[in-house]
Amino acid sequence: MLFALLAAPSFIDSLLLKFFSEPTVNYVIWPFIQIGLVVVITTGWVAYATYLERKISAFMQARLGPMRVGPWGLLQPIADGLKLLTKEDFIPENADRWIFFVAPYIAVVAAFIVLAVVPFGPDWAVITDVNIGVLFVLAVSSVGVLALILAGWSSNSKYALLGALRSSAQMVSYEVSMGLAIIGALMFARTLSLSGVVGAQASNSIWFLLYQPVGFMIFLVSGIAENNRAPFDLPEAESELVAGFHTEYSGFRWSLFFMAEYTAMVVVTAVATTLYLGGWYFPFVYRLTEAKGYHNVYVVISLLVFLAKAGLLLYLYFWLRWTLPRFRYDQLMDLGWKWMLPAALINIVITAIGVTVIQGLDNPSGMHTIKSLSAGLGLTASGKVIAIAFGIINLFLTAGVLSLINWRSRDFNLKKQRRQIRLVDLPKGKPAVMPASPGDVVSEARP
Amino acid sequence: MKDVRTMHQVEIATTKNALLDAPEMTLNMGPQHPSTHGVLRVVLKLDGETVIDLDCDVGYLHRGMEKIAENRTYTMIAPYWDRLDYIAAVSNGLVWVETVEQMIGLDVPRRAHYIRTILTELNRIASHLLWLGTHALDIGAVTILLWAFREREEILKIFERQFGARLTCHAWRIGGMPNDAYDDFASDVKRFVDNFPKRLDEYETVLSENRIWLSRTVGIGVISGEEAIAIGLSGPSLRGSGVAWDIRKARPYAAYADMDFDVPLGENGDTYDRYLVRMEEMRQSRRIVKQAIDNLPDGPVNAKVPKLIKPPVGDYYHSIEGPKGEIGCYLVSDGTQQPWRVRVRPPSFINLQALKQMSIGHLVADVVAIIGTLDIVLGEIDR
Amino acid sequence: MPLVPVPKSTFVQKLKRFFMVDLLKGMAVTLGFNIGALTDKDSVAGKGIYTEQYPKVRPDVAPRFHGAPRLNMDPETHDTLCIACNLCALACPEDCIDVIPMDVEVIVAGKPRRKKVLDEFIFDTSRCMFCALCQEACPTYCLELTQDFELATYSRAGFVWNREMLEQGRETVKYES
Repeated sequence: MLFALLAAPSFIDSLLLKFFSEPTVNYVIWPFIQIGLVVVITTGWVAYATYLERKISAFMQARLGPMRVGPWGLLQPIADGLKLLTKEDFIPENADRWIFFVAPYIAVVAAFIVLAVVPFGPDWAVITDVNIGVLFVLAVSSVGVLALILAGWSSNSKYALLGALRSSAQMVSYEVSMGLAIIGALMFARTLSLSGVVGAQASNSIWFLLYQPVGFMIFLVSGIAENNRAPFDLPEAESELVAGFHTEYSGFRWSLFFMAEYTAMVVVTAVATTLYLGGWYFPFVYRLTEAKGYHNVYVVISLLVFLAKAGLLLYLYFWLRWTLPRFRYDQLMDLGWKWMLPAALINIVITAIGVTVIQGLDNPSGMHTIKSLSAGLGLTASGKVIAIAFGIINLFLTAGVLSLINWRSRDFNLKKQRRQIRLVDLPKGKPAVMPASPGDVVSEARP
Repeated sequence: MKDVRTMHQVEIATTKNALLDAPEMTLNMGPQHPSTHGVLRVVLKLDGETVIDLDCDVGYLHRGMEKIAENRTYTMIAPYWDRLDYIAAVSNGLVWVETVEQMIGLDVPRRAHYIRTILTELNRIASHLLWLGTHALDIGAVTILLWAFREREEILKIFERQFGARLTCHAWRIGGMPNDAYDDFASDVKRFVDNFPKRLDEYETVLSENRIWLSRTVGIGVISGEEAIAIGLSGPSLRGSGVAWDIRKARPYAAYADMDFDVPLGENGDTYDRYLVRMEEMRQSRRIVKQAIDNLPDGPVNAKVPKLIKPPVGDYYHSIEGPKGEIGCYLVSDGTQQPWRVRVRPPSFINLQALKQMSIGHLVADVVAIIGTLDIVLGEIDR
Repeated sequence: MPLVPVPKSTFVQKLKRFFMVDLLKGMAVTLGFNIGALTDKDSVAGKGIYTEQYPKVRPDVAPRFHGAPRLNMDPETHDTLCIACNLCALACPEDCIDVIPMDVEVIVAGKPRRKKVLDEFIFDTSRCMFCALCQEACPTYCLELTQDFELATYSRAGFVWNREMLEQGRETVKYES
């Protein structure tokens, strides 16, 4: 039974071939099935990400979280969705109606369209493998900021306007460091295709996280900032701007924004997994590929591995959100331009030097560092050691350079943050005694 | 305020003038805003996000407490006093009963004084916990709120068992207390006292050294000691600026004369110092509670109170150190059963006056943090 | 005595700062709570879940709690204990109690006497602030604020309780789960 289920793609394939020509099946019908599956599964995953966030935050706060709808509140996302669908779609007076209408859709589309190139697994688990996948991800996810700006502008509310201003500044500045952070990983992958990046990691049996610890950190921080998640959730900072750019939205349009936010989270975790955590790759993966007849088992296990890795990163998102206070607007810009951007640039330089050193050491010195260049930079054991050493050197070097750049900054200069309070034992004064006799009062009567 | 089209006027003006010479924007923060701690309305004049002017509008919760008090007997007024600062109802109740007691010259038994000390200090901890939670929430650390509420709940459970209510508990009666301490009072309080330091350490681990917390609070809302005295700040807001003034020490009431405790003082008068001062005050309060519960004397809890309370003609002022500052009560009696005039010295109202001075030049996000650090309660501001 | 460990600008401190030890310490606490919520049963001293599942689990209300008012009756004769003395109405700061007495003829020691008894008792719970001054004023322990705390009704009129409601208790809908 299980085997039949896992063999389904080839079975459906042969079934479809009876009705349609081969190009139609390969380029029209299969993609549609894949797209449908990805959209349905991602929507479900997004819906349950809200549930998970509520549950996890509740556990961190010694609460129970949703408990009333279904066992352990498992039907809560569905109930929420129904509630939001039936709510009034309220448009504020003097709002720019059309932009107000369109903004949530831009948000959702920009978030969902990235999923087209994300390799959830090998073979049929990726919709399309574009050879500039990484560029596509960066380009499309930056369209998302448009939605926030338009939503904030069209709402005709000052809070929404401030939220939109904040989000535009924030997303633009963090996109730079995000794009630069990726370059280090791409030097090892030698390709812009996301599947190619996974393949490079798989054929080397290593995660790029080990080569690129700084790059991973920058990518993750920029990703969180770009998703407007705490501690960078300034555009919707609920204690300052009520709800930021979606203050005036209600009902289903509001839920579209939320869906976009959670989808964007899923996308960033998926891309981070692909670039740094080896994507769907797991140890001993080639044992399975070599065994005949288990191809679909291999794909499904890869998918689950991918989901597990992305899920861990998602947990990190929730964890950060429910622990850390929020940055202030100017501090966020500080972090983006004074810390993240130099770090990303240093990372590129060090990685480039590292790659050059590895290549230079390959033949003349008699050391064998490079295995092959067919799938990424294929390194031998000694080559890997050098690359990892460069990664660790990079960490400390970045620390040094950043502290040099920011030695005046209050964030870093501990002397300026040195704080203490004193405890003093004040002398006790005369007790507030009762008047000696009932009539002994302070002054004469008024009335 | 102008109409809803103000935003568009800003837009037009921006395009007319030079781009960087944008006019100010007026932002109405409140009365319905998540972090104005009730119904405070702050009219902000913004240049970008920088505050260039600020105006507080209060009175949305005005109930006319002082006028009501003129038409009630002295016993009846006590429950109203809980509604001033409903976070610290026990302390508020204490200032009223102590004022009347001192005016009519009642000698309250020692045991009542000790229980009053324990419960007002517990109330101080509860109030500070609520401040901690909401202040952290304003700055974005949501989890602290729920943790703080859990500890506060333990205190409120003691209040419920002792007074029969959790928040506005009508704790005291003139001359003592309505009931003696309940049977498990000592063990309940001791259990709380034992558990509490560990919890406080947890909060401090999350916040005190956190770089985001530091950069959000250090140097924000600075007010010097002289300015603080000039405005009339009191309580932790004053001590955060380094002014050594605590009514519990300067003019001890209840059983504070017997207690041994220290007063924490800040140095820079910024939000972070006020945070540290309040955190330390909770530790000191715990110390006071521990001393009081260990040395709790036996005996009656009520003085002999006359059936009709008629203070002599005259006026009297008494104040205590509430969680938010000096709660004072000025009472003018005309010799009848009802006061001729009652005036409350509200700590939150006076502390709020510092908001403008503290916030100008900061960003909108800092205004929220400063409102949080002043620890205001609108019930008391509007009365 | 410095209360906050003052950070010294040593190299180790700077490294700690770069590797975000301050943030990681906080995150360790939240993770501890997350694990504690699933494993720890002790919610007061430990890290367990503190939530009360209110409609499912009835909370433990303290014996002294000031909740819904009740007029107590003599447990043997089932007559009201109220002597219509009006002290509770006088003690009430909010004026929410109305005691309406009536005169009845009783034979005391063979002679007819007029006696004031309770006819109707109006208690406006919407204005009551549960200060329990009325309970303290009552000389016969008749008026009592009970542990019943569910006082919501569907109309304003429903907040005004008459003698019957005060004696029998109001019919409340108890929701299961």
